[in-house]
Amino acid sequence: MRLAKLIRRTGRVAEPAPELSTEPAGAFRPDRALAGSAQVRHVDCGSCNGCEVEVGAVFGPVYDAERYGARLVASPRHADVLLVTGVVTQNMREPLRRTVDATPRPRVVVAVGDCAVDGGVFRDGYGVAGFVDEVVGVDLTVPGCPPEPEAIVEALRRVTGR
Amino acid sequence: MSGVSAGIATQLVLAAVALVAATLAPARMRSHVAGAACAGLGVAGAVTGLVAMSGGNPGAGLQIPVTLPLGLPLEPLLLAPDRLGGVFLALAGAVAAVTAVYGIGYATGPAASRSGWAAFAVFILGMQLVPAASDVVSFLVAWETMAIGSTVLLLADHGARSEVVRATQWYAVMTHASFLLLLAGFAVLVAETGGTSFATIAAAGVSGTSASVAFVLLLGGFATKAGLVPVHVWLPRAHPEAPSHVSAAMSAAMVKMGVYGVLLAALRLLPQGPAWWAGLLLVLALASALYGILQASVATDLKRLLAYSTTENVGLILVAVAVALLLRGAGDEPVADVALTAALLLTVSHAAFKTVLFLGAGAILHATGERDLDRLGGLAAVMPTTSLTFGVAALGAAALPVTSGFAAEWVLLQSLIHGDGRDDVALAILLPITVAIVALTAGLALLTFVKAYGIAFLARPRSPAAEHGHEGGRSMRAAMLLGAAAVVGLGLAPGPVAAGLAEAVGASGIEVVGVLGVSLPAVDALLDPVALILLAAIVLAPVVVVHLAAARRAPRRDVDLAWGCGGVRVSPRMQYTATSYAEPLVRVFDDALQPSRDVEVSHADESRYLVSQVRFRQRVTDLVADRAYEPIVRATLGIGEGARRIQNGSIHRYLGFSFTALVLVLLAVTW
Repeated sequence: MRLAKLIRRTGRVAEPAPELSTEPAGAFRPDRALAGSAQVRHVDCGSCNGCEVEVGAVFGPVYDAERYGARLVASPRHADVLLVTGVVTQNMREPLRRTVDATPRPRVVVAVGDCAVDGGVFRDGYGVAGFVDEVVGVDLTVPGCPPEPEAIVEALRRVTGR
Repeated sequence: MSGVSAGIATQLVLAAVALVAATLAPARMRSHVAGAACAGLGVAGAVTGLVAMSGGNPGAGLQIPVTLPLGLPLEPLLLAPDRLGGVFLALAGAVAAVTAVYGIGYATGPAASRSGWAAFAVFILGMQLVPAASDVVSFLVAWETMAIGSTVLLLADHGARSEVVRATQWYAVMTHASFLLLLAGFAVLVAETGGTSFATIAAAGVSGTSASVAFVLLLGGFATKAGLVPVHVWLPRAHPEAPSHVSAAMSAAMVKMGVYGVLLAALRLLPQGPAWWAGLLLVLALASALYGILQASVATDLKRLLAYSTTENVGLILVAVAVALLLRGAGDEPVADVALTAALLLTVSHAAFKTVLFLGAGAILHATGERDLDRLGGLAAVMPTTSLTFGVAALGAAALPVTSGFAAEWVLLQSLIHGDGRDDVALAILLPITVAIVALTAGLALLTFVKAYGIAFLARPRSPAAEHGHEGGRSMRAAMLLGAAAVVGLGLAPGPVAAGLAEAVGASGIEVVGVLGVSLPAVDALLDPVALILLAAIVLAPVVVVHLAAARRAPRRDVDLAWGCGGVRVSPRMQYTATSYAEPLVRVFDDALQPSRDVEVSHADESRYLVSQVRFRQRVTDLVADRAYEPIVRATLGIGEGARRIQNGSIHRYLGFSFTALVLVLLAVTW
């Protein structure tokens, strides 16, 4: 009963849904199989955890990406989309490859944050193997250090089309 | 000449043919010719049994006009199975036929030798004559024929493995202890009644102390054959060492002769026993069921596991018999009849699935040379037929629908739950305990056979031998498929089977209902597997249609790699083994099993903090065998050692012995 009251008092905290952008993002064409609903697996390849905070916010109550059909899952076996953050370190190169291989096709790899897109501030570091596009192919990029949650949500909405 | 006597004569002739074939056929064709003859012998037994079961003309049989040159009041030898004997004759014949067919492809080396096949024929004949025998002398002769045949078969591989000799010693001693007890028990009965035929003994109605002495002696003898705790010790030793078609026949049919013996004693010869007989039987049977399945659940040797599971199943069968006797004593006839039917259903069902399980274990042994579950795995890919049949039989052993095991255990539980023990204090206490133990047994059996099937056939091979497994020959596969079909068939049609078996023991109130289903009006219960399957199919049909339609719309998505959490070290050693699967059980039943564990950690040279190797060893021994039998064995050996001191080979001492004996005799005479 107290819970019900709390829910009523809190109400809706999510940001109003912005318009779905229609302009094409590079060469990316969303696959029809993933339209409407896409399961997301997040892979941290050596991030400073800045992007993680933003990814956490994306699936929180305020930005609420689940409204648009994107849902976090616990294993690449269940996933359609891989959300890769951070520059790829030597130790994470092989696990990242295996994670991508273990994701059923059709799959979408989204590089989130400057480090994932082009190495960012850690580029040419001694433990760095490269950025994500060098290790596995990238379909969508979300630049920013860290990127704003709206940008990540927009990338996911391009996949789900909602 | 009636059908039954013709059938028994045919069996004797076929046994002679099999013996001739085994001894005269050239080595290349021996297995085919002798195997076919043995299979024929089995089929003849099965048909005769079915005829006797339907009770065409009671009392008909083969009378053997033999007068033994003894001053004993022996009645003529009579091989005339009654309806109960017919059940066991049919069962032994069917098992013998299937195992003989299997043996054609399986037997190699010593098992395919002249003596191997001849002993197999003798063994089968003995086994089929035991339930046919209708008087004490022919019963004991058939019993001993069966014992000798199986002992010779057990010895087959004694040249290759030293354990075989020890196992055979155990078996020979136990089986002859059983024979001695039977001899003593029957001697008491014959002395009381003055006749050797079962009809005379039954008509005399022995009662009082001598009846109790006879019953306990007979129970001891039959329990030894049936493998009840604490006289089960030969089972886990003999079964692993025998050739697999022999262990299948021994486990599926021969131990059933022990069950037949108990039924013969309790129902036909001494039907008016006091309640404590049944109580004694119930306690022994419950102990066997629980102890057997507990040992089976922690066993890693596949055939040892199956042997202990035999002890468990015989325990369950005799639980049903004991409960039937108790209920009959308490006046609850209808439920007693249900329990008696359950006993026979369990017997038939165990014979079916245990044959397949042992034959499957034989196929694995044939293909990989391994019996150790910890070194098997992944066989489903290389041995599809064995995997299928073993899986079906494992379902039967775990008493899951739609197999024979499920139907049989369902009937047993119905009789246990509905047994009316209100007026009988002992029954009121015993029945709930029995239900609880049977339930625990069923649960452990499920775990055991999940382990047996899952570890042997699924996952990745744990040794190179398992990796290079291959399917056995055509006759082996045919035999296993035949057995698996029987497991499913008996489970799908419990109605006619139960009705037929109930008629054979004179039980009423078992009816066929619906599509081959069984109805028990006495306990107001009904089971119709075929109808249930049809119903399930109708319910599931829309689901399947929707699923197929959905699958058409969203095609299968490819995955390039099985997910290993990003890891790279995927090896067969990371899988569950039989030992690790049973580890929680070993922990729970620590006090009952008392396993010995040994963990050895060796460190790297550089530092004590680095572990280079961990060796874990666990041994679960049979406590009953250790505690009860080791002292006896040690005492016997001690007497032998003492006797050796007297017999030192010196001729002077032997002359001294004779002289002393002579003097003593003279003294005794002149006293």
